Amino acid sequence: MNDVPKSTTLVLAEYETGPITREMLAQYAEASGDTNPLHLDPAFAQKAGFADVIVHGMLGMALLGRLLSSRFANRALLKFDARFAAILPVNTSLRCRARLAEVADGQPDDGHLRLALEAIDPAGTVIITGSAELAAAN
Amino acid sequence: MAIDRAHVGYALPAFTVAVTPERIAKFRAAIGETGGDVRVAPPTFMKMVEGEHNSSRRILDTLAVDLRRVLHAEQQFDYVGPILAGDQLDVVRSVSDIYERKNGLMEFIVIESTISHAERGLLGRSRQVVLVRNPKPAVAA
Repeated sequence: MNDVPKSTTLVLAEYETGPITREMLAQYAEASGDTNPLHLDPAFAQKAGFADVIVHGMLGMALLGRLLSSRFANRALLKFDARFAAILPVNTSLRCRARLAEVADGQPDDGHLRLALEAIDPAGTVIITGSAELAAAN
Repeated sequence: MAIDRAHVGYALPAFTVAVTPERIAKFRAAIGETGGDVRVAPPTFMKMVEGEHNSSRRILDTLAVDLRRVLHAEQQFDYVGPILAGDQLDVVRSVSDIYERKNGLMEFIVIESTISHAERGLLGRSRQVVLVRNPKPAVAA
């Protein structure tokens, strides 16, 4: 399992993705090369046990990653982890949030910024949890 | 059907990936990225690099996994150096572990990749955990 750090209440960045549409899934499949029909073909998704196509976990992680590249561009990214906790149906929006992570006991003070990340659907279900570690840029 | 554990250690032949400015631009557009430096690959671009040549599908096919039963469970990236437009990257991917939970109803495949550059050395590592949802075994009459 990922070592997802406990988060503090301090939210450092957040945004709402807006509904993740079929067009976005097709565009992500094309750009990433991930053409798994689970994300593109409703009939296949139904055979796999879902009502409709589901969002690529990696698209969700990429949307979370926008918090890092946009809001912490002055830092160097060292680690970025995600755990895909629940599936996300097409046309659902995600709220992506980065909180300051709690400092663990014995953790060295290396100046690194540690973030606890989450992507939550409108019903409040946690779809992705994650973490990131960033160093002060040279 | 349980995945043959003999596949632990299975590695795809190493392959190379050319990172063009167009591919970074297309990836940025697909994820709605507007910030950062357009010449630097976004954090999850490593997934595109390691997935080149349909490599993930080829690994799952080798392991005889039914694509309908597969979900991405976890993903970790370690960053050593930036991936830049114009880079020619060397990718090595292998199956590092296969394990099960819930009496085999859930099997997990761990795929690890390294991405490196001939002059700048190792740029990043990826570790992916794939969940295979197996059907409940038929109850004997």
